[in-house]
Amino acid sequence: MTGVVSALVEAWQELRINKTRILLALIGVALSVGALTSVVGVGDLAREGMKANSERNGGRSATLGLGVYGPTMPDPVKLEEAYKGIIKRYGVEYYTHVGLSQHGFQFPSGVQQVQMQLVDPGYGVIHRTDVSTGTWFAANDEERLAPAVVVSEAFYNAAGRPSLVTHPKVTLTGDPKTTAVMIGVVADQYPEAPPQAFMLMGAAERVGIAAAGGQFKFWVQDAQAGPLKAAITSDLQQQFPGMQIHVDRMDYASNGDPFAVAQLAIGGVAGLVLLLGAVGMLNISMVTVRYRVREIGIRRSFGATSRRIFLGVMMESVVATAVAGVIGVMLGVAIVKNPWIESKVAPGLTEYPPFPIEAAMLGLGAAVLVGALAGAIPATVAVRVKVIDAIRF
Amino acid sequence: MEELVSLRGVTRTVLLPDDQELHILRGVDLTVHSGDHTAVVGRSGCGKSTLLNLLGLLDTPTGGELRFQGTPVEQIRGNARARLRGSSVGFVFQQFNLLPGRSALDNVITPLLYAGPSHFWKRRELAMDMLDRVGLAGRAETFPNMLSGGEQQRVAIARALVRGPRLILADEPTGALDVDTGQAVMALLDTVATESGAALVTITHDVNVAALARASYRLDSGVLTSTEVPLGVSA
Repeated sequence: MTGVVSALVEAWQELRINKTRILLALIGVALSVGALTSVVGVGDLAREGMKANSERNGGRSATLGLGVYGPTMPDPVKLEEAYKGIIKRYGVEYYTHVGLSQHGFQFPSGVQQVQMQLVDPGYGVIHRTDVSTGTWFAANDEERLAPAVVVSEAFYNAAGRPSLVTHPKVTLTGDPKTTAVMIGVVADQYPEAPPQAFMLMGAAERVGIAAAGGQFKFWVQDAQAGPLKAAITSDLQQQFPGMQIHVDRMDYASNGDPFAVAQLAIGGVAGLVLLLGAVGMLNISMVTVRYRVREIGIRRSFGATSRRIFLGVMMESVVATAVAGVIGVMLGVAIVKNPWIESKVAPGLTEYPPFPIEAAMLGLGAAVLVGALAGAIPATVAVRVKVIDAIRF
Repeated sequence: MEELVSLRGVTRTVLLPDDQELHILRGVDLTVHSGDHTAVVGRSGCGKSTLLNLLGLLDTPTGGELRFQGTPVEQIRGNARARLRGSSVGFVFQQFNLLPGRSALDNVITPLLYAGPSHFWKRRELAMDMLDRVGLAGRAETFPNMLSGGEQQRVAIARALVRGPRLILADEPTGALDVDTGQAVMALLDTVATESGAALVTITHDVNVAALARASYRLDSGVLTSTEVPLGVSA
């Protein structure tokens, strides 16, 4: 205990005395760690942004899409029964129909054709549809007399951005006209996107809006996707003999993690940044030890063991780089959590994830590792110094 | 009196780059007891510092027997030797060898960083006491470059004595000082060593300094001989 404390005291004394020289070395390490943490943090943020976009388009991992095709259209009632059977049999929690439709909506500026997606409440979870205002569909929204719609920002703007608390109504053209209630707003899929709207499949059918084409999707755990695909295919083949059954993964991760290459590239850049910092630190440490040969000799004449000299030189480097690491991580957090950077790196996200703790730990760990490595080589040199020669140095 | 260090037929030889052997010490016999004040005098290059390094466990002999507190030094290995040196030997160097950038107090504290808990946790008090004994308590926070040569050597003496060594080895302690300051430093060293009961071995080329010791030896071409006649007279 006393040995460790005294080594720390000694290391601190060295840092205090050689503060200018060490400070210069540490600026390099702090910047390297800051760059490393920023690269990993920004990479993580970008990954989250890309993932969110991919999930919005194709669904979370693993989203399975069902399709029954054949020379004739399958009986829709029987198909619906089959879907319900699958949900019940396999305990599927999140599922949705997805149908497309085009319908005219009355806006203050006039009637505009709007692309509609007819879905079930599970769509919101499967496609990670975050509402910026209001709410997504609940199961009982299907029972509303005036169907609920969740609209895009472009739609909401065209409707004059009424407060959702007032249950704003919007009219669907046609005969008879239908009045719908806006309950939530989601981000546009891309800048300048035309107005879009979501409506529950059951509600749409009740007001006579038919879906052109349709799909049935459900979300399962990654590990279950393979076995379920085989089981459901066989299940549907028995129910629809002679028809083609397609049970396919629709999500971004269906062919492996598409971000793995990007992650590797980011890791490579981060490693290179760290290597540069480590080489700089090592260089300065080596110069420092040569400059301190006489001092090491004097310390050894007063009873410092070689182990203690090694620990002292090493500790000095580790203590210094750990401090630089904390500063570097703080720098990295400040960069990654900058609102402007967040909005540019992950434009698809409405809520940004917290700063990744692994990036902070990596930065700090890397700093200590660099300190240990940059300290170990000069410490070995210091231990090999012959006391007599060192004192006369 | 207890025998601290004894050398019996000690030789120290180094191999030169042209494979020739250089005999620095040749069959040296010397015994230092606790409380002894011994001087070794000789010209530059006669092997004085090598002898001091052997006495201070900084080097090992090529031949003969060197015992430290009764134990042959070859039986005391690596870190144990360093610890023994730290606890039992105090060095005073010709060039003071104070650590630059550290105050007088920090310099005196340095050996206590390698001591056991009883010394380490009381390091400031012990170092201040020692500085007080050498008359420098008022300059504890002064840096070496702001101290005179005599003051620097007094700090070095305080540093050598702060762990209460049983053997003080002074290598040309007055070599970098003027005559008056040198005499004052030697008087201080002699007093402090006497008070603490430590043995003092002074290596010097100055016969006047050697004359202050109670026993004196001459080292000439690696051969150590006792000088019966006071050195100041014979020189």
